[in-house]
Formats: sequence, C-alpha cells, structure tokens
Amino acid sequence: MVILIDSLIIGGVRFVLDKVVQAVDKELSDDTVLREELLAAQMRRELEEITEEEFARTEADLLARIRDIRERNRAPAPPPGEMRIAGVEATFAGEEHEEGAGEAHDSEGADHRRRR
Amino acid sequence: MALAESGRRVLVVSTDPAHSLGDALGRALGPRPRPVPVRRGTLQAVELDADAALARWLDQRRDGLATIALRGTYLDREDVDRFLSLSLPGTDELIGLLELARLARASPLDDVVVDTAPTGHTLRLLQMPETLRQIASVLDDMQAKHRFLSRSLGGQYRADSADALITEIEQESSGILALLRDAERTTFSWVMLPEALSLEESRDGLAGLRRSGVAVGEIVVNRVTPPPPGPCALCEGRRRSEAAVLAETARALRPIPVRVVAARDDEPEGVGTLRTFARALLGPRGRLPPLPAPGSTRKGTPTAATRRSRGPTAEPWWLSDLMPPSRRLLVFGGKGGVGKTTAAATAALARAADARGGRVLLLSADPAHSLGDALSVRLGDDERAVPGASPRLRARELDADRALAAARARYRGAVDQLFDALRGGSNLDPAFDRAVMQDLIALAPPGIDELFALAAVTDALTQETSAGAPSTVVLDTAPTGHALRLLALPDAAREWVQALLSVLLKYRQVVGLGQLAEELVDLSKQLRSLEALLRDPARTAFVAVTRPADLPRRETARLLDQLDAMGIPVAGLLVNAITPPGCARCRRAAAREEKHVRALARRFLTGAGRPMILAPMIAPEPRGVRALRDWGRTWRRFDPARRP
Repeated sequence: MVILIDSLIIGGVRFVLDKVVQAVDKELSDDTVLREELLAAQMRRELEEITEEEFARTEADLLARIRDIRERNRAPAPPPGEMRIAGVEATFAGEEHEEGAGEAHDSEGADHRRRR
Repeated sequence: MALAESGRRVLVVSTDPAHSLGDALGRALGPRPRPVPVRRGTLQAVELDADAALARWLDQRRDGLATIALRGTYLDREDVDRFLSLSLPGTDELIGLLELARLARASPLDDVVVDTAPTGHTLRLLQMPETLRQIASVLDDMQAKHRFLSRSLGGQYRADSADALITEIEQESSGILALLRDAERTTFSWVMLPEALSLEESRDGLAGLRRSGVAVGEIVVNRVTPPPPGPCALCEGRRRSEAAVLAETARALRPIPVRVVAARDDEPEGVGTLRTFARALLGPRGRLPPLPAPGSTRKGTPTAATRRSRGPTAEPWWLSDLMPPSRRLLVFGGKGGVGKTTAAATAALARAADARGGRVLLLSADPAHSLGDALSVRLGDDERAVPGASPRLRARELDADRALAAARARYRGAVDQLFDALRGGSNLDPAFDRAVMQDLIALAPPGIDELFALAAVTDALTQETSAGAPSTVVLDTAPTGHALRLLALPDAAREWVQALLSVLLKYRQVVGLGQLAEELVDLSKQLRSLEALLRDPARTAFVAVTRPADLPRRETARLLDQLDAMGIPVAGLLVNAITPPGCARCRRAAAREEKHVRALARRFLTGAGRPMILAPMIAPEPRGVRALRDWGRTWRRFDPARRP
C-alpha cells in the first residue's frame, strides 16, 4: 500500500527512470518483449478490459513462449573472450535525451543481436 | 445563536464530514446557507459537502488547471481531463477551508462560527494553507517552463489566465493563514470532556494549535457532573475523577482560561434549548464549582458497576460474536468521545488472551491518538508488546507524518539521481522538470492518515506469523466522518491506479511499461483484495460505538446507513456509558437513556444475529490492562424484554 503513495507522488519520475534504465541496460534478454506483453495483459485484466478467462489463455501462451526462450538460452554459453558485439541496430522512438556513449536502442522490440 | 441574538449577522458552519450541527439546531441543513429563526440579528447555518465543493472548485478552474498540466507535463488533454475528474480522497480539510473563505466572502457577515471535525483532522485542516501554497508552487513550476519558452521565442512574456490561477491559489493560502493567525480576528474555543483521555488529547491538540499559530481563547470542559441530590456512589466517584482532571486541566493548560459547563439532563437540541445552554456557555466564567478533593479517601474504589460477574479467566460472552476465529479485521468507529478507543483496547485484550488465536495487532489510526493513554503505556509508530497483556498482543499508534517523511526521503534522492543521470556530462540541466518533481514530493497528499492506516492493516494481515496462526487487526479509527473515509479509500485509490494504468498502456510505445506498471498491477490486486476483505462478513466487521444520548444516536443511525450502503458488515453496536442504578438524578438519566437504547435497538436489531452491547459508565473511566479487562466483563447483551 505504501506503493500507492510512492506511485502517486513519483509516478512521473518512474516514467522517466524506466526510460533511462532501459536505455542503459544493454543486456536486454530476448524474452523482454514477451514479458512486457504479459505485463500488458495483466494491466488490461486490472482495467477489466479482458476477462479472467481471456487473461488465462494469453498468460498460458506467453509463458510457454518464454519457457521456449529459456530452454534455448540454456544451451552452452560461449567462452568469455570469444563473444563480441558485432553491431547494434536501433531505432529510437522516445523523446530525445543525452546519451554519452552514442549508443541507443529502442526500448520496445529492440533489434539486438549478439553474434559469435 | 447567542451571537446572533446579540444583534449580529452570524454564519455557523460545520466542517466535520459527519455533521451534527443540524441535529443540534433541530433542523435539516445542507451545503447552502439556510436561515435559522432567531429573536434578533440573523443566523445562517451550513453543513459543508466537501465532494460537491471540490467539484465546483475544480469546475471553475478546470481550463486553467488543464492548461498548466498540458504545458508542464507530457500528458494530453484526454489524460488531464481524466485525472481531473477522479475523486480525491481526503479533501474534506482542504476544501473545508476554501469553502469557509468563500462563504464568508459571499454575504455580509459579522461572525463566522465553525464547528470543526474532531482533534486529529482539525489539526490537518490547519495545515491546509501550507498544502495550498505547495500546490500553487507545483503549478508554478509547471508553468515556469512555458514562461521560459515563450520568452525565448517571442521576447516578452505576458501573464495569462493560468498565471492568474496560480496567483489566486497563493493568495487564498496566505489570506487564510493570516486570518487564522490573527488573534484579533480568529479565536479557537477548545471543547473537552472532564475525562483523562480527553485531557491527554487536549494537551496534544493545543500543542498542535500552538504550532499552527492559532490563538486559543478558552477551554470549555463540558458535561461536568453536578453534585448529586442524595448519596450516590457513581456520582461521587465521577466527581472525584472529574475534579482530578479539572485540576490538572487548569494546571497543564495554563494560562488559557477554563470554563466549566455542568452536564444537563438532556442534550441541547433546537434553538429553544440552546438558549438556556448559552447562558452557561457565554455568561461570566466564574470560579470552578466546588468539587470533592481529588485525593479523598475513596479514590479508586470501584463503583457498583465494576462488579465481576464471572471468574477472571472466563472468556467474555461477546468475544465469539465480535471476533469468531475467522475474523481478521475488527474496526471500531463512532462519534468523538463515545469510548471507541477504550472499547477497541478491551476487545483486543480479550482476543489476545485466547491462546488458540494468533497474533493481535491493536492499531490506532486516529491522528489524535488515545490508545496509549487508554492502555496506560507509551506507544508509538513501532508496534510493541503491552506489559501485563498476552505477548500475542502488539499495539501501535500510527504516525502518518513519519511514514510520509520516510517516503519523501527515499524519493528525494531518487529524483536527484534521475536528473543527474538525465543531464549526463552535459551542462544542460532540465531544471524545470526537476523543480516540478521536487515540489511534488514535498506536497503531502490529502488523506495521508487513511492511506497509511490501510497500508499498515494490509502489511499486518499479509505478514507471516511464526506460529502459523493468522493475525487479527483491531483498528481504532478516527471519529465517524474519517472512519468512513478510510473505508471508502480502497475504491477511490483503485480509480487512480486504473487511470495510471490506462495512461501507461497508452504511452507504451514511447516509454515502455517497466517497473511502475508492475507495481501498479500489484497495487491494483492488493486494493481488489482489500475491497473484498472489507466486505467479507466472515473476515471483517465494524463495531459501532455510541452513547445513549440524542446526538450520538442520530449520528450512529447515519453511520449504520452509510456502512450498509458501502457493504461493510457490522458485527455489533456497543452503547457505552449506561448509567447504573444510583441517586434520583441517575435514575432519571437511566430512564432517558432507555428511550435512546430502545430506539437504537429498533434500528439495529433487525433479524441478523448481531448483538447490541451495553457497557456501563464507571468512574474513574477504565485505564490500563487490568481495568479494561474488568470493564469488558461488565458488558451486557441488550435484551428487549428487560430494562437496560
């Protein structure tokens, strides 16, 4: 419940904080999009835009896909040193802000490729 | 009434959300001034309706506020309108002051007499000019960016209606503050009962008034027991304990003059009976009436009413009615001064004494706490064991200001960090946005007492207990109006959460969802389960506490109606301070009380198997674990076939 006050007082801060965190976080895992879809479905359920049944179906589907990605990620990781970032492709849809390193990526559906 | 009849134009206003002014004047009142017939001068009376007043205030300023919000935030008109249309819990105090100022301006008046809400929320009311100033400051921060941009683009900046609105709110704040602090124009009469708990509350309340810079002209000690017509253990016991309280009042609250008003046979109701009451209230203050010395020989002797009916270990009969094992939350509420706190403490002690039960948290959510005084222990915001009671019992007096200060401290750092991060290495500082956020955090949201009380209840009920037994919360609330506000809060809060969720979904492509969305989803779920808990008769129950007198009975009837409308289950009605057999005056009092008890029974005992409990008046009032436990054993079930 304290969160209520937090949310109301600094809801705006969080908006922006999230943007910063997302922009800085370069270790975006591949299931991020799916997790966000799951969160959006939970939000719609709380808004009573979808029924419990619709939510249960969506949730089951998304969780199955997240599990698949987990399975794939569990494949042996490349030894350190052999991994390098070959390129980052990004489109930026938000408002402008300062980015020191000159790297930016889209918070939504970033096309983020990691290559051996 | 008396001021008007001295030839003046008087407006009397009730700012307590649970109004009793109409009952006292013997006529129906509303949010618009209505004339009350008097012999001389003019008298108008108003019972404020904070929700309607807020809606009107916002309506007149909607465009200005929306303009500022559009300029100062990233929201569009649709979002801004949605937020402006939400109900704001806890605006009674804020809007109360604005309405007072408006009403006083609207018609030519000589005096405005204000009937305030009980202590805790009146102190909140007096903090509102500061809140208004802070609101103006946030709006001004939002507008600052627009002014800067206009100047950069078009040269000179010309103030517009949005600036006028900010100035209006600022001036309203400083105008009200100046009025409140001007002892020539404003005086506060502090009204209390000759009871130890009331004195303790008065000490805190008067200290709060001093901090607000409000001058207190007089302390009125109401309902002081006159000498009995013949020998009477109860009257003499009451007079002894009242004498001790009066002596301490005069000593502790010096140099404020103290006026003593004797208890009347019945409560004043209607202009006619008020006239006789006015003589006692406004006549020469005179000397304190002769009272028996506080230290006389029979001090502390229990009166007839404290006789034990059962052995000391037996479970009181009412425990299974009020707190069956399934019950998680028991809320005590009622008019100020009826004995809510004492009753809540008594019930919590009985519940905790049951070894089969789990942990019991006795929580006071009234910003003017009396719980520690009732238990005779020093309590604070950290829950603690109560010496002499079962170790399963913990007690806490909620400190909403402390909780808010802690939340602020957490976020002040976060805001600085955020803006430093945004700034990166560059010299450009988003100074305007930083100022908006800093001032928003400094702003105390209205209704913080209710907000943090619900947070504390939720925390206590979701905590794991080591023994595995679920915990029970016994909640001592602020008087009626604010107890109802507390119970209505989860619904209002969920509207806000839903509005925020919608906005997040709408701007999802821009800012993503992130942690805020997760927290809001969690919060929404918590609020839903709290709503369900509050309406589940197995887990939650309200106990209405009242006295067998006219004004409390009428307020109780309205309280019960509102609880029904909200779907909050009521487990019992406790009628406190029933006069036991005594002198001729006590017998007359008992006969009047019986009428009120029977009227309450007609309203309350309608089929459902919930008890109406009669608790005797005892002198001195029960304080401390042992006295409360003994008092709880004297509670009787009202039986319509018997005299109460």
